Amino acid sequence: MPRILVIEDDDVTASEIVAELAVHGIDADRVADGREGLDRAMGPGYDAITLDLMLPGMDGLGIVTQLRAQGIATPILMISALGDVDRRVGGLRAGGDDYLTKPFAPDEMVARVDVLLRRHRQQAQQTLLRVADLELDLVRHVARRGGRQLSLLPTEFKLLEFLMRHAGQVLTRAMIFETVWGFHFDPGTNLIDVHIGRLRRKIDTGDHVPLIHTVRGSGYSLAQTD
Amino acid sequence: MRRLTDNWRSTTARLILIYGAFFALWGVLVIGAIHWQAASYLSRVSDDLIGRQANYFAMLDEPTRQIALNDYVSLETRQLNAWGLFDAHGAPLAGTITTLPANVRVNGPVVVVPDGLSRTDGDDHGSVRAAAVRLDNGRILLISRDTSIVDRIGTIIFQALLWGLSLTVVPGLLGGWLLTRGPLRRVHAIRDATLPIMRGDLAQRLPVSRRGDELDMLAGIVNAMLDEIERLLGEVKGVCDNIAHDLRTPLTRLRARLYRLQQQFGEGSSENESLEACMVDTDALLDRFRALLRISELENQHRRAGFECVDLGEILQEVHALYLPLAEDRGQRLELQVPALPSIQADRHLLLEAFSNLVGNAIKFTPSGGRVDIRARPADDGPWVDVSDSGPGIPVDQRVAVTRRFYRIESCRSTPGSGLGLSIVSAIARLHGFTLEVAGGERGARLSIHCATASVS
Repeated sequence: MPRILVIEDDDVTASEIVAELAVHGIDADRVADGREGLDRAMGPGYDAITLDLMLPGMDGLGIVTQLRAQGIATPILMISALGDVDRRVGGLRAGGDDYLTKPFAPDEMVARVDVLLRRHRQQAQQTLLRVADLELDLVRHVARRGGRQLSLLPTEFKLLEFLMRHAGQVLTRAMIFETVWGFHFDPGTNLIDVHIGRLRRKIDTGDHVPLIHTVRGSGYSLAQTD
Repeated sequence: MRRLTDNWRSTTARLILIYGAFFALWGVLVIGAIHWQAASYLSRVSDDLIGRQANYFAMLDEPTRQIALNDYVSLETRQLNAWGLFDAHGAPLAGTITTLPANVRVNGPVVVVPDGLSRTDGDDHGSVRAAAVRLDNGRILLISRDTSIVDRIGTIIFQALLWGLSLTVVPGLLGGWLLTRGPLRRVHAIRDATLPIMRGDLAQRLPVSRRGDELDMLAGIVNAMLDEIERLLGEVKGVCDNIAHDLRTPLTRLRARLYRLQQQFGEGSSENESLEACMVDTDALLDRFRALLRISELENQHRRAGFECVDLGEILQEVHALYLPLAEDRGQRLELQVPALPSIQADRHLLLEAFSNLVGNAIKFTPSGGRVDIRARPADDGPWVDVSDSGPGIPVDQRVAVTRRFYRIESCRSTPGSGLGLSIVSAIARLHGFTLEVAGGERGARLSIHCATASVS
């Protein structure tokens, strides 16, 4: 069972994070102070960290910088009340892996933690992604379903790659929009749904088992269900 | 705003002009009076002289009169004097004057002959004064004196007037212009200071010099007013932002609870349906608050640190690609026309957000089968980007209002939306120094952003 370190000084937010992670079968330890958080994060045993950027003792950016300077690569989800792009870029540049703005939906937070946990275990240089009979060759830029080649637009290819890299995980619309398009504003739910719909019509055709699933209230997931 | 380049509109200039006009009028009156007095005095003197001389000539005997008359003419070197001798019937006998003017009465007073006299020693059409006397032998002697000397004195006086006026009025006007320039320069400074205030930067104040004169007093009053406006606006905005901010946290928790309940009930149950509806409503509320906070975040962002060289065409292509599937799903055509454009200084992410909003809006309000056009066109002062659609259009009287927060056109209230999209676009444009123009009417709307390159410093 994965273990998460939650560095968060606000009690309500912290208990929400811990409770939501527990629902999804993830163990979490909570620390309220920045300095103590850094000490714990330096130690072994944690698979990921959620980090509030405004903390007593030591601020979140300082903690990230210190950890990365020490060569500790534990994935970090930064959580901040400040949502503008500059802060996000600054946080990611300091060594954070993802950035979430308060207040957040718990499922959004869990989805992001989940992605961080698996990314860590995944081999980075995969060149062939495979889910059931769906194949994506990243070197030759070819997608196949059951041996038949699919014609995908560049954006559709990127979208499919993101879904397949995180097969079996819930990906929220915001995560999809940020990763595939690199945009950080809110385009409205409809837009991502339309793009997913297109991809779905190309992949889940005919008598093939549907692979792209809508997760109600959250987002999408690509997985083989039986 | 009225043009300030016209120096003559200022108070000082007007006073100087009025004073100048008064002075000129008064000078003309004074000089006129002097001229009239001098002329009448001179005429009286010369009339007196002519009368006496005529009588004197009449008293002399014939040979002496001849000598005296010759002297009368030759002693006056400027040929001002002349005489003529006529018989009782007016036929000329001697002298240089050949006709007897009609208005001269024999033994009468000295009169003015305005058209001059016909003379044998040269034409003289200038006005003369003349008198006629009857001699002992019944003949008539006419003597005349040219009065152009009086006119010449008048001319001298008139020239004196012109000199006097020009020496007073010209330095006066010059001085007035100089006096006006100082205050006008300060008015220009004040206008320059108000431009950012009109653009919404309420932190700016009017310049106040140490002189403490009328302009400074006015500037002080306006500054005090601006202080108060800034404070009040800040309070109103603060209240709005706080409401949005404070309500967001409980709303997020509410959504989390609904989500958890939904998980507990499981797919397909009847509770799940109503929970789904609750979540959609909560999401709509959260979206609205997010947009509201986004606007105030943009409005508070004065710096342009995130600006870089941006390829406008590339951004539009990205937006086009992003929205093309949505348009096609709705049976619309989404066309992109981008000529080669010079790159501009801007924040890439913000521009993407602004154009996405414009295109998303256009698609939303255009019925199925319609079309949306994204068109960029270059201009000397920075490129324009037009997003036009074949939707219902925006009524003329609502074109300014649509950029206001929460404003929604009456006929579009049934379409889902927050009424904040264009406010975000407008805030982004303002942050860049760009302008958002709302146009079009019966056949669709056209929203344009003018990426004015000059105002980006």
